[in-house]
Amino acid sequence: MNRFAALDKTPQARGLRLTQTHVLLVIVAGLAFVPLVVTDSFTLHSIIMILFFAYMATSWNLVCGYVGQLSLGHAMFNGVGGYVSVLMFTQLGLSPWLGMLFGGLLAMVLAVLIGLPTFRLKGPYFTLTMIAFAEIVRIWVENTNDFAGIPLKGAEGLIVPNRGDDFWAFQFSGKVPYYYIILTFLALALAATAWMERSKLGFCLKAIRGDRDAAEALGVNPTRYTSIAFALSAFMTAIGGSFYAQFFRYINPERSMGLELSIDMAVMAIIGGQGTVLGPLLGAAILTPIAELARGAFGGGLLGLHLVVYGFALMACVLYFPKGAIDPLRKIFRKIAGGGAK
Amino acid sequence: MDAFILSYAVVNGLLQGAIYGGVALGLSLIFGVLRVVNFAHGSFLMLSLYISFWCWSLFGMDPYLSALITVPVMFALGYMVQSVVIAPLIRRESAMVVEPLSALLLTAGVFLVMDNMALMAFGPDVRALQGAYYIPTIFIGGIPISGQRLIGALAAFVVALGISYWLRHSDMGRAIRATAQNRDAASMSGINVPAVYAVTFGIGCSILGLFGALISPFLPISPSIGLAFGIKSFVVVVLGGLGSISGAIVGGIVIGVFEAVASQFVTATSASIGSLVLFILILVFRPQGIMGRA
Repeated sequence: MNRFAALDKTPQARGLRLTQTHVLLVIVAGLAFVPLVVTDSFTLHSIIMILFFAYMATSWNLVCGYVGQLSLGHAMFNGVGGYVSVLMFTQLGLSPWLGMLFGGLLAMVLAVLIGLPTFRLKGPYFTLTMIAFAEIVRIWVENTNDFAGIPLKGAEGLIVPNRGDDFWAFQFSGKVPYYYIILTFLALALAATAWMERSKLGFCLKAIRGDRDAAEALGVNPTRYTSIAFALSAFMTAIGGSFYAQFFRYINPERSMGLELSIDMAVMAIIGGQGTVLGPLLGAAILTPIAELARGAFGGGLLGLHLVVYGFALMACVLYFPKGAIDPLRKIFRKIAGGGAK
Repeated sequence: MDAFILSYAVVNGLLQGAIYGGVALGLSLIFGVLRVVNFAHGSFLMLSLYISFWCWSLFGMDPYLSALITVPVMFALGYMVQSVVIAPLIRRESAMVVEPLSALLLTAGVFLVMDNMALMAFGPDVRALQGAYYIPTIFIGGIPISGQRLIGALAAFVVALGISYWLRHSDMGRAIRATAQNRDAASMSGINVPAVYAVTFGIGCSILGLFGALISPFLPISPSIGLAFGIKSFVVVVLGGLGSISGAIVGGIVIGVFEAVASQFVTATSASIGSLVLFILILVFRPQGIMGRA
């Protein structure tokens, strides 16, 4: 792109960002009214799962969508968040609200330690390395009953003891409080992504995505910026893991750090549109209902049906909508909102 | 550590490792030619294991004989996946190099579809061909060697040598190598590149058909076994050097012996963690693998 094209695009881009913020606010505000309309507990549970996956996909997107590195190991951070907050609660009696911060910090440290040597790996090599790291953590937890006095309980998983309706224990009798908590998390994650897009960090990440060597030649330190974003993404994913643990009051290595969760997060962000603020939310809104419907309609009868659909959707998306489902919507939106811009 | 037990572990590791190598051959071949990391690799193995199982349990067919079915079926399936799913991507990006991540995502989609269709059709239960086959255990220097594993290991060497010879001396093999070197130049020399790609993918998968039939008698079969073998194959191929045929066998043997010997000292779990650590170290410090060119 030449200099003039860049100059030409700036005002339009600014206008777009503004409208995107508006869309964001409208969506979040609209979602805040959902529990007033939906009183059925099962439906609300499904909507909470949509928001949860939207949050997870947004966290994944924060680094992977912007740097263009495909991580299929993010479930590891989810597991770290869940395990740390649950263990701190059961062993030390620490509130999960604080425990989740510790889980997030541990995930950040882990992310930096993993990211430093692996970020320069390209394409599939990075993906395979992330799978290997996540598998190491999962296999280790699955086969460790007791680590230095900490009862990890291996494949059996951890149960969060019931404390009734207790804010500090992160336990509520109805589903509505969980709904507002995950909605708040999602709103914060979307805001963080929107902020990052405009910040120096976001521009550096985009430069790195475009051409790592060129970005480095211009004085952008790729390792530093990708590490920051990766740590942020790991932190957010871990917070999501804590929420998941508190919501279901049960976690095990297979569900909370298995490859399936990593794939879910990545697939939702990719189908919705990676590297965009609203894409992961859209992806989760498209895909999670399929999983929830399959679960509701067939019980456990048709195990894996939703993943078959995810698989076909992923293939169709890569072939026909490489920019995600958000792209055609954006074009329509641009026509309505910014028709006069060009 | 008893020398006898250690040598037993080494011999068994060699056999198991050669089988790992044989299973990984197709992954390496496909990557070497198409530059596509086939995430669904293990799924093809899983499917051919099931075909062997059902042929045995429904028709009483000899598991080894079921290779006559699994090999062509896997070839056809691989050919189809390449020409229906991946070819449009390659056509679209013909001007550029295929973006490896898009191809990986496509095959991840294939993996999701295949593994979960198997889960829906067969359920999560573990199946086994119990007593389907009996090949006597032979003793070499007092060390017992499972006949079935020995046959699997020998097959890995035969297939690797056969593929190498075929790639070197047949017309199709030359076309495949030319395409691997330079797609556009090959195309300009009159090679039908899409056909070469589809045949390569088909062959890569048909090798899995053969090994599915060969290892089905001693393997517990479940829908998730594909992923376990898939990950193992990635480790093996990266270790040996992506795209190298001999590297796949060498990588397989290294992993097999490493795990067998390590599990004499630590738990089998730690041994499998160890092989993943080895995999990461190789990727970080020597991404071209043991046998790969720099």
